[in-house]
Amino acid sequence: MTGRHSGLTLLLIAIVGFLTICPVIMLIFGSLSEGLTASGKFTLAKYITAYTDPALLEVIWNTVIFVGGAATTATALALFLAYLNIRTDIPFKFIFGIISIIPMMIPHLLFSVSWVLLLNPSNGILNLILQQAFSLHHAPFNIYSLPGMVLVEGLLDLPIAYLIIAPAMASFDASLEESSRVCGASTAKTIFRITLPVLRPAILAAFILCVIRGLASFAVPSVIGMPGRIYVLATHLYQMVSTGFAADYGKAAAVGMSVLLASIILIYLYRYLTSASDRFVTIAGRGYKPTIIKLQRSKIPLFLILGFLSFILIILPVVVLFYTSLVPYSMVPSMRALSMMGLKHWIEVLNDPISLLSLKNSLFLGVVGATLGIVLSIFVAYVIVKVRSRSAGILESLSFLSFSFPGIVIGVGFMWFFVRTPLYATVWALLIGYIATYLPYGIRPLSSAFVQIHDHLEESSLVAGASYLTTLRRIVIPLLVPGIVSGWVLMATMFVRELSLSVVLSRPGTEVLAVQILRFSEDGLWGKLSALGIMMIGVSTLLVLLVTLIGRWFRPVDR
Amino acid sequence: MEIRITGLRKHYASDGRIIKALDDVDLTIPSNQIFTLLGPSGCGKTTLLRSIVGLESPDAGEIRIGDDIVYSSAQNISLPTEKRGLGMVFQTYAIWPHMNVYDNVAYPLQNRKVPKEEIRRRVAETLAFVQLEGYENRPATKLSGGQQQRVALARALVAKPRVILFDEPLSNLDAKLREETRKELKTFLYDLQITAVYVTHDRVEALALSDTIAVMRTGRIIEIGSPKKIYFDAESEFVADFIGRANLVKAVVRQQLPGTTIVDSGIGRLSCRKGDFPPDTKVTLCLRPEFISLARGDHPGTNVVQGTIVSMVFVGDAFEGEIRVGDQHLLARIEPETDLAVGDEVGFQVSPDHCLLVAG
Repeated sequence: MTGRHSGLTLLLIAIVGFLTICPVIMLIFGSLSEGLTASGKFTLAKYITAYTDPALLEVIWNTVIFVGGAATTATALALFLAYLNIRTDIPFKFIFGIISIIPMMIPHLLFSVSWVLLLNPSNGILNLILQQAFSLHHAPFNIYSLPGMVLVEGLLDLPIAYLIIAPAMASFDASLEESSRVCGASTAKTIFRITLPVLRPAILAAFILCVIRGLASFAVPSVIGMPGRIYVLATHLYQMVSTGFAADYGKAAAVGMSVLLASIILIYLYRYLTSASDRFVTIAGRGYKPTIIKLQRSKIPLFLILGFLSFILIILPVVVLFYTSLVPYSMVPSMRALSMMGLKHWIEVLNDPISLLSLKNSLFLGVVGATLGIVLSIFVAYVIVKVRSRSAGILESLSFLSFSFPGIVIGVGFMWFFVRTPLYATVWALLIGYIATYLPYGIRPLSSAFVQIHDHLEESSLVAGASYLTTLRRIVIPLLVPGIVSGWVLMATMFVRELSLSVVLSRPGTEVLAVQILRFSEDGLWGKLSALGIMMIGVSTLLVLLVTLIGRWFRPVDR
Repeated sequence: MEIRITGLRKHYASDGRIIKALDDVDLTIPSNQIFTLLGPSGCGKTTLLRSIVGLESPDAGEIRIGDDIVYSSAQNISLPTEKRGLGMVFQTYAIWPHMNVYDNVAYPLQNRKVPKEEIRRRVAETLAFVQLEGYENRPATKLSGGQQQRVALARALVAKPRVILFDEPLSNLDAKLREETRKELKTFLYDLQITAVYVTHDRVEALALSDTIAVMRTGRIIEIGSPKKIYFDAESEFVADFIGRANLVKAVVRQQLPGTTIVDSGIGRLSCRKGDFPPDTKVTLCLRPEFISLARGDHPGTNVVQGTIVSMVFVGDAFEGEIRVGDQHLLARIEPETDLAVGDEVGFQVSPDHCLLVAG
């Protein structure tokens, strides 16, 4: 198997290597050379100015609080939810399934905006309601604060932490806990001395992934942090590259190098921990049966907490956006507001040429980008899973690298690269950047699909007299369809709402939805923003439904 | 410590059917014995064990360990597992992967607030007993299956429990290791003189380890006795068949004589082990293959059966032979160095003691 595919493997290493290494190299060169380009004379001046900036200390402090706070919130909530779902008899367990997929449905940018609409100090809906109800002089909440940022980012990262912790909890061998009880430990003591320590690698992995995402997060810091003048590293960088004619890419790259380095170290730590947790949570052999704890008296309060969480995670953001898109300006829901509702913002957005262009661009990037991305992913996943040579290992490490990429940092690297090509300021620049940054999201589901196609399935088809092509058509492709569909859906939804890379690479003419929404948010045009935002959710949902239907049509047998 | 179980009941609802995991079980487990619950999967043996240790809550009944009532539906008592003071070895061993051997074994003592010095002494003592001296600092994940098993045993023993329970502790080991570990376990338990309740579906394990075997089926205990009693003198067809390989032949009781019962069976008139059946009762004759020793030609004397060899399969330590007697087929063990061949006319004489009669 090793020799046969070495050509393909090398080609893929070249492509993936170009996509992932190239922006990093440009970033290194750009941060170390004089002038605006990445090919000037060697200098450390950019590092010196960047790291002696007196504002940096506060930015770093804010980043630590923001990222650490959000990761802690997300991990703790995820642990709580996973325990409720897997180990207790709480009713309506389907809610947990919805919580784990909403990040695909509601973009982070819109989720942040909806919290601004609810809790901003001047006219946040919830603030206004509370002020009226208790005749307060000041708004009780201010979302434009570090705690506000931590809360929203924590809620946004909750599903990803849940998706890591829940399977670990589900494969937990219950007899580890039972034997602790037999040894004389109470339920509480067992949780702290056995359950949590055994799950430690999974919990740490979830925490680290949340930290990486927090570092890369741009939606929350820009929509919630910047109006409150609270800058974290991502927005600090954004400020440098977006201040009109004096954009300082060099200084941004110098700071960005630290963010990138930290993320890369963390992502490999994450990978080490997940493989460790696979080894750790063992056996679950015959006769395995998880013990379900009967909640009894605490059942209703716990269910209320779950209900509240799913309400603010799933329903509230959509309702708030929809409401805001229909009322002429921010107002408390009332009969008067109801009577003033209209499609004014929708009509304005549909007549706005830039909004329409961004809609078109994002749709193109979603469909074409995800399709090209998934084709590349199929080949990469095939080599990683089935070829397993030394160079396949290199390919795996390379393709995993971009999991750590903070979009805004890597965007600067790409910018320097594209400036030297005719691709600069075209949608193709965005498309290549997207695929490079989000490749792991396509490879992941396809790798697991390939893992399920045991070599024997192909071999027995060959033995049964089918040619290699027939085997591919009748055996391999049908079994891959679920993986292709989920990989495509994941990539397309991410591309449609992509923000952090786009704010750096998008130029006049290549506006995309998220960037346009950010502009509306900076200008406080909440009504138009909400209308465009709902269109964005509509586009993603439509793509998801369409591809799921197509995938079902391809499926050979009903399962 | 004696365990007394009365009227224990546990029903499950599954796919709209009621499954009786425990169907009013009455059982006394005598102290300082190795007591085995044997039965096919789904017979309720594990549910019974887990009810004793408190990991399963029964619907009704009472469990006493020594003089303490640990569960009683009538008195509304259900002592939590951690207060029952028992030791248990799980099927998966349940060795905590984040602790080393010492911490695993010390855990029960730490929970009982034993002073540090004494913990150290007793862990060392117990590890020596299970022959794991020097493994204290070994991470639990770096142990072989057999070593894990011994750590699990040490952990179950270290707090000197009133009763030690085993839930199919050998089923995760491969065949060769299982045999070794079984012998080891037998020695350990013999030295300890402790009440042990052992759950298994493996008849060889049950025969080799137990002082007493209780055979279970569909939530009921159908027979209790010593391994020899269960093997040679079972009362029901199910037990006779489950505890070993058996030829089961329909028969009718003809005559009761002192010391023997005469039956007419599908393989002829035979004198059998004395069974308490009136004449003309329909019974089943149970004849184990290992007590059939075939020889070519006609046999003189009584209790003789004649037949033809239909097939012979070599399995290493013997041939598994199949002989036809009238319209009956019997399994027989044939010596590996035999000169018999398929098609030979053969016969055997069987001792009445090896012809067991069971109801049915």
